[in-house]
Amino acid sequence: MTTTPAAAPPPIPQPDETTQFFWDAVAKHELWIQRCQRCKHYLHYPKILCRFCQSDDLRGERVSGRGTLYSWTIAVQPFLPFYVDRIPYTVGTVELEEQPGLMFCTQIVDCPEDDLRIDLPLEVVFVELHPELTLPFFRPAIDAAR
Amino acid sequence: MTAGHRVAIVGCGYSNVGRNSGLSADEHMIQATKAALADAGLTVRDIDGMTSVGTEPLNDAWLLGVEPLNWWSSGMMAPAFSYAAVQAIAAVASGFSHTALALRVIKQQPSGKALAQGRTDHPMTAMMSMAAGDRQWLTPFGTGSPTQWAGLLTQRYMAQYGATEEDFGRHVITQRYHASMNDDAIFRDPMTMDEYLASRYVSKPLRILDCDYPVDSGSAVIFTTEERARDLDQPAVLVDSYALSAIRDLNFEILSDMVHTAPVQTAKSLWERTDLTPADVDTAQLYDGFSIIVFQWLEALGFCGEGESGAFVAEGNTRLGGSLPVNTDGGACNVGRRHGANFCIEATRQLRGQCGERQVDGAEVAVFTNAVGPFSAGALLTRG
Repeated sequence: MTTTPAAAPPPIPQPDETTQFFWDAVAKHELWIQRCQRCKHYLHYPKILCRFCQSDDLRGERVSGRGTLYSWTIAVQPFLPFYVDRIPYTVGTVELEEQPGLMFCTQIVDCPEDDLRIDLPLEVVFVELHPELTLPFFRPAIDAAR
Repeated sequence: MTAGHRVAIVGCGYSNVGRNSGLSADEHMIQATKAALADAGLTVRDIDGMTSVGTEPLNDAWLLGVEPLNWWSSGMMAPAFSYAAVQAIAAVASGFSHTALALRVIKQQPSGKALAQGRTDHPMTAMMSMAAGDRQWLTPFGTGSPTQWAGLLTQRYMAQYGATEEDFGRHVITQRYHASMNDDAIFRDPMTMDEYLASRYVSKPLRILDCDYPVDSGSAVIFTTEERARDLDQPAVLVDSYALSAIRDLNFEILSDMVHTAPVQTAKSLWERTDLTPADVDTAQLYDGFSIIVFQWLEALGFCGEGESGAFVAEGNTRLGGSLPVNTDGGACNVGRRHGANFCIEATRQLRGQCGERQVDGAEVAVFTNAVGPFSAGALLTRG
């Protein structure tokens, strides 16, 4: 069966018990990250155990949505039918400001390729790619002077 | 020098490697095993341990007629062939197996184009389109392809150290030059910088010529004790030290340091377990699934300083005749994806002095490595 790119369904995230909070928050245009209630470390991806202190007292908490660009790559070859018509786009790994090493991989939007650089200040933006798919992408922070 | 019995490599072999070979995984496994046994002058009756990435040793042993099997190990979330090699070495060193066969069998993976069109039934397609479990953080976002994490690692390295595309190009061109002297290589025509820079991006700054070449392949290497190796025909090649390391689960895209990854830990272990130093190594066979991986290994192993791989290559060090010829068979970019096995086999053949036109003069010490990011493995070998 061949699916034409135009008709390709969006890759809709399939949350589980541990990750539901994240996608519920995205639906409200908020960025939440799992946090250990004992040692206060943030964890991404969400898991059922804190790998810092082995506590299972973990909950999603809203974060600022601010971070800096750690690295990026321009996707020019699609490997998913849904993205065939959407290349090129920028995949970026963002270090969230809440904790050193707290990385979030996403797309970087509203940023010309020449402006991409290490430590570029970023902020979350919720983008509706499809009526059934809204994702937290990042863009250059409007208040970059902070 | 590691604990237990001294371990030697006594046989190496490949299947009929190629694009869409028409051979099953079992056929590749059988061909590679027979080639390695013939190389060693052994029969299946001499094997009592099997380790593999890509096949199930229990099934392989029964099919081949290996009986009894005193040790086996298999894994897919592992640094490719070097995982099988390290498991085999550890089994022989500890005495659980006297002669162990390490295998890597891999079927050609679908092209990006085939994936984009959703028209292949390869298991990788299902994985790449899945949006559950850890993939829910990748697939919806349009990422999760190995070429994209390689793009992230390459870009970070370039931005952090000011490396250029030409730095990677010179490495790719050097490997191709080595491949021109290897009858077993798929790509053997010399390459120019213009050709490298004209090749298409897959995930910018990663180019198609920075990627290894997908093929159907089977590779086999036989490890035994030094005592047994002395009775065999091939010049003995000894394992001096070996290491297997992981620093996180398989999510490359959220590595908090994309420049210092598992090879740093593997290299540290390798040097802690030997009296040899980087200056003693005559040739390095470093996994080149993507060009950036070779640079990470050159620096992790201490052959050059951090961020200095580009200059190290530009100075001609990694070229045959230089201070440290690297990937003298041409690497997986040119011999096809044997997923790490070719580095062990090329290192062995160099130490045996069997490499003809591309022989490194007087090679006595070699290193081979595999993988990057979350996990890696490798070994130092010496001429016996």
